[in-house]
Amino acid sequence: MLQSFFIFLALGVLLALGLVSSTANYAVNWAWFATLILLLALVAFWRRFDRSRVETRELALISVLAALAAAFRLPFAALVNVQPTTFLVLISGYVFGLEPGFAVGAAAALVSNFFLGQGPWTPWQMLAWGLGGAAAGLWGRYQAGFPPAAFAAAAGLWGFLYGWIMNLWHWAGFIYPLTWKTFLATYMLSLPFDAMHAVGNVVFALVFGPSFYRILARFRDKSIIYYRDGEKRDSSSGRYP
Amino acid sequence: MQAIVQRERENLFTRLHPLTGLLYVASLAVLALLFSHPLYQLALFLAVGVVLLAAGGWQVWRPYLYFSLTMLIIIVGFNAVLGGWGETVLFVGPAFPILGRPRVTLEALLYGVGMGLRLLVLTSAFCYYNHLVNQEGVMRLLSPLGGRFVLVITMATRFLPLLVQEFNRIMAVQRCRGVKVTGASLREKVGSMVPVLNILLLAALERSLQVAESMQARGYGSGPRRVYTRELWRPRDYLILAALAAAFLLGLAAVAAGWARYTYYPRLAGLQPGSLLPALILTLALVQPAVLNWGWLHWTWLKSRI
Repeated sequence: MLQSFFIFLALGVLLALGLVSSTANYAVNWAWFATLILLLALVAFWRRFDRSRVETRELALISVLAALAAAFRLPFAALVNVQPTTFLVLISGYVFGLEPGFAVGAAAALVSNFFLGQGPWTPWQMLAWGLGGAAAGLWGRYQAGFPPAAFAAAAGLWGFLYGWIMNLWHWAGFIYPLTWKTFLATYMLSLPFDAMHAVGNVVFALVFGPSFYRILARFRDKSIIYYRDGEKRDSSSGRYP
Repeated sequence: MQAIVQRERENLFTRLHPLTGLLYVASLAVLALLFSHPLYQLALFLAVGVVLLAAGGWQVWRPYLYFSLTMLIIIVGFNAVLGGWGETVLFVGPAFPILGRPRVTLEALLYGVGMGLRLLVLTSAFCYYNHLVNQEGVMRLLSPLGGRFVLVITMATRFLPLLVQEFNRIMAVQRCRGVKVTGASLREKVGSMVPVLNILLLAALERSLQVAESMQARGYGSGPRRVYTRELWRPRDYLILAALAAAFLLGLAAVAAGWARYTYYPRLAGLQPGSLLPALILTLALVQPAVLNWGWLHWTWLKSRI
């Protein structure tokens, strides 16, 4: 409780500092600023995940899905931006919910970068994929079944959103002046790459979507029990009555 | 795939406490983001370059350098064409449909170079992290802070090579059964992968169940988690941390005093020679691990003391 209070306090102070217009002695370093906000968001998620009642089965499930998403990234590393990782993160979030979705996305980014190389981009990828999983989880909460076409469209859309989140870092870190003109130019330049990512996502969602959904949903129904009070518990856990 | 095994190198840097390596990378990154003076960036770059070369990392550093140099050219070009601020106009380009007539100014060019140097320092720092810091050690450092997410990362890192093995096994089985696993056209190729990846997913999920049951059978979650660590703090760590602290404080002082700030716009600021001395000291302090490494390799007495 106290921790989340401090995180929100820090976020508030940072946002307030960002609104102060720059003077000769005070200028916001936006690269720093964006990274700090991002790291705070990731720390907030991390603390929340550690204190939530995630059961052992879910823990193992999240790690194996993250490993799968990361593994799918490696053979495609040479192909610019075409990677099944985004699709796998999205469908994990869609089936298992908001928080596991974020965890799978964030862990997949971190783990795949153990092999592809960590960099300043790692936290941004963690956030971009994590948010994708979380958004899919939010959608899956209100959507019954699996609409393949709509899911493919959403996966395509997230291809663009992913690129746009990543662009923020390039723009804030390396471009001056930070104006609408340079902002639009950065986004225009990245458009072909984002489009490739989106097309890849649509193809993966159409080809693998239905069967992956069946497998994952069956596994969810098999291993996680939902009680009448709405709280989910591990079927094997003896810890709760 | 060969990158899956982190190579243990015979040098001082891989024999440091993981926190020392982590702090070295972190200070480099923080200082690179705080400094706006290109010469201060250059000081950091020289330091990390010498350290990487001392660690015998030219082979691994080269791809990072190529990547950053390509990015540097893009950044310089982007800023030069679109920045358009600054008073020293070098030339005015022809009219483009959306951009108008780009004014290429000296200030924008040099701003691009400064930012590119920052990127060089950052990627080199991460090169150091990827190749010279024990990543498992870093995960162990984090595990007392919070169990679950770190555990997820550790487990996923272990699962990854297992999944690759599993994938190869499934492909072999499919081939033995006479199923075509490759196709002529892209459509066939993707289509033939559907059953393989379905089986891979099923196997992975099954494995996760087994692991979870095994964890529970061993009592995971039945009480607070205990963490043991075997990392040693040696004199080399204290020596490097002392130099690092000095460098970091000096860097902060340089930022506070405004030495590390440089104004590109609207007109390039002049260089004050006095404010460059701290940059030199900074480089020397950050190069100290390379000197220790030399001693560790060639001077038995020093090696026995640190």
